[in-house]
Amino acid sequence: MATDTQDPKSEFRKNQSWLYDTQSGTYVRKSLIGLLTLVVFTYVLFPLYWMVVTAFKTTAEIQQIPPTVFPEDPSLQGFRMVVMSSLQTSGYDAFFEQSFGWEISSAIDIDILTLILNSLKVAVGAGLIALVLGTGAAYVLSQREFRGKNAIMSLLLASLMFPGTAIMVPEWELISTLGLFNTHLALILIYGAMTSPFVVWLMKGFFDDFPDSIVEASRIDQCTPFETFWYVLVPMARNSLIASFIFAFLLAWNELVFALTLLDNSKFTVPPGLLTFVQGFNTQWNVVAAASIIISLPVLAGLAYIQQYFVQGLTGGAVKG
Amino acid sequence: MTHLEVDGVTKVFGDPEKDGVVAVNDLSIDVPDGDFLVLLGPSGCGKTTTLRMIGGLEDPTEGEIRFDGTVVNDIKARNRDVAMVFQDFALYPHMTVRENLGFGLRREDNDMTDGEIDQRVTEVAEMLEIEELLNNKPAQLSGGQQQRVALGRAIIREPRLFLFDEPLANLDAQLRKTMRTEIDELQSQVGITSAYVTHNQEEAMTIADTIAILNDGKLQQLGTPDQVFNEPANLFVAQFVGSPDMNLYSGRVTDSGDDYAIETDDTSFEIPKALVETEIDTSDVLVGFRPQDLYQRAARLTEGPDVDAEVRVVEPVGTEAIVHAESESGDITAKIGGFHDLAAGDSLTFTIAPEHVYLFDAETEELIKGRLMAERAEDAPTNGVEV
Repeated sequence: MATDTQDPKSEFRKNQSWLYDTQSGTYVRKSLIGLLTLVVFTYVLFPLYWMVVTAFKTTAEIQQIPPTVFPEDPSLQGFRMVVMSSLQTSGYDAFFEQSFGWEISSAIDIDILTLILNSLKVAVGAGLIALVLGTGAAYVLSQREFRGKNAIMSLLLASLMFPGTAIMVPEWELISTLGLFNTHLALILIYGAMTSPFVVWLMKGFFDDFPDSIVEASRIDQCTPFETFWYVLVPMARNSLIASFIFAFLLAWNELVFALTLLDNSKFTVPPGLLTFVQGFNTQWNVVAAASIIISLPVLAGLAYIQQYFVQGLTGGAVKG
Repeated sequence: MTHLEVDGVTKVFGDPEKDGVVAVNDLSIDVPDGDFLVLLGPSGCGKTTTLRMIGGLEDPTEGEIRFDGTVVNDIKARNRDVAMVFQDFALYPHMTVRENLGFGLRREDNDMTDGEIDQRVTEVAEMLEIEELLNNKPAQLSGGQQQRVALGRAIIREPRLFLFDEPLANLDAQLRKTMRTEIDELQSQVGITSAYVTHNQEEAMTIADTIAILNDGKLQQLGTPDQVFNEPANLFVAQFVGSPDMNLYSGRVTDSGDDYAIETDDTSFEIPKALVETEIDTSDVLVGFRPQDLYQRAARLTEGPDVDAEVRVVEPVGTEAIVHAESESGDITAKIGGFHDLAAGDSLTFTIAPEHVYLFDAETEELIKGRLMAERAEDAPTNGVEV
């Protein structure tokens, strides 16, 4: 309220609430926002923090009650076990013993590098399948009118709503019939099929918002439909394509159930591989945590690099410019 | 270099049998080689649809489109060798100006090497004075610069036809005038047959060799800018062309020997029969005065109507002013000089030379008498001098 005539700003309208118009109100407001941010931040990041501290604890400290928030006696035991297990499984233990006199013996026989490579293979394959099929389908669904188009879109959406485990048995039968049991190709096909519908929806949004006049300009510039797609649409869709790929990649990278049921130990990808570190009452959680960290590193590095495109790609459909 | 013919073309969107929307209705236009055709009309009149059918972006429901006598209905847009400038410019945002300009040439079935294409790009860029922008992306350019690139992309291929779809609509007023002149110059320089869509009658009048005025998908008139202004085929054309809008009053005609006597609510006057080409066989007419043709009554003028009015608003536009006034039968707008002593509330009397009066049949809205151009008006009896 403009009551204080001494204040030159008094003629301007105030928000008329204590929270916004006074100094102390401003402090309260900002503190509340800060506190809320902190809560959300903790909620999201605590599991990651717990994984990291667990990796640096000794087995004894992990089982301590109450648990310690920070390792009292930081140890690299977990990491050593992972590395030793990997070296032993991949057959380098003898080499290290002879060259450096290091004795390597691990109760666990998991090679973490093989896990990562298997997962990369499966995730990249699934990502590419989803990208090629999904983008092609999205382009047609967006640009052409035909009967049953809405039915197809609804069906694709519905397929996203099924939990993967619901179609476990038929998938298993299918893979078995195709003779793809215990192959990475089986996982590539399944993950590709699981993620394509989402890619179709994401890319359809992009193509729907795509200005018609640019497509028409390319037609006038003597492009065939494929040339339009390849020289004009794909380069402009780059960010959305990257976002689609990352989505499919991460799903394939994280998927456990199919990988566990369709593969055996020798071909495991990361999620079932990590699970084998969990061994009943005898689980060495510091080893599991250490393995998880090591496995996250390549993905984190890759994502950090392309994150800029990812954010642009997801919002690209919504915000023009 | 193409003689373009649009012959009996109809375009229906949706199902023609049921609830289809007729966008273009039995349209026929003949555009001689090198001519600049402007398709003019209000929104939704079918002008853009017509242009898109010429370009091959839409298929006509009926009728033929011919380039040099060859029917092109079944030829795809990419094979018609036309170039189009879009309202939103439609530049490829991921390519530099250089790549945008060269894109069409690279897609074409020609034997041009990269070097030749590059040389052609540079030539066109110099012609449009955008050579320093060649390595920029479209997003870094101003509207006018983007417009030039879009023009460049059209002329670089030396196509059979230029198609312009409201190319100036997204530019500001100043730039619109400059670019209008440039497009006109460019077209006469390269001499390529062009079709240009606009809803701006001023733009159409200045740029066109031939104007086709469309309304509701139907061709209202095809003629030179002079023809559509002075001899509009019907009331719609008369009202659409010219600014400010024509003043219209309903009136009655009676034959009084050598003259036609015309009476409106405000005034009565006579038009010599010599000025009217056809026999008037109706009594109800619409009388039209162009605001530019009205002037303040001077004592020595005897013929021509007197319209008494009271000034409402004076809008000065430089040496002249648009005067909105109120007469007995409604509003009257005049564009006159010597307005400085006029103010709202003043009474004045407007008049107009009989040569400049338009007459329309009240029922059919067809033109009975147009505005005689200066050279033809010389034969007619002189009534006075314009102030």
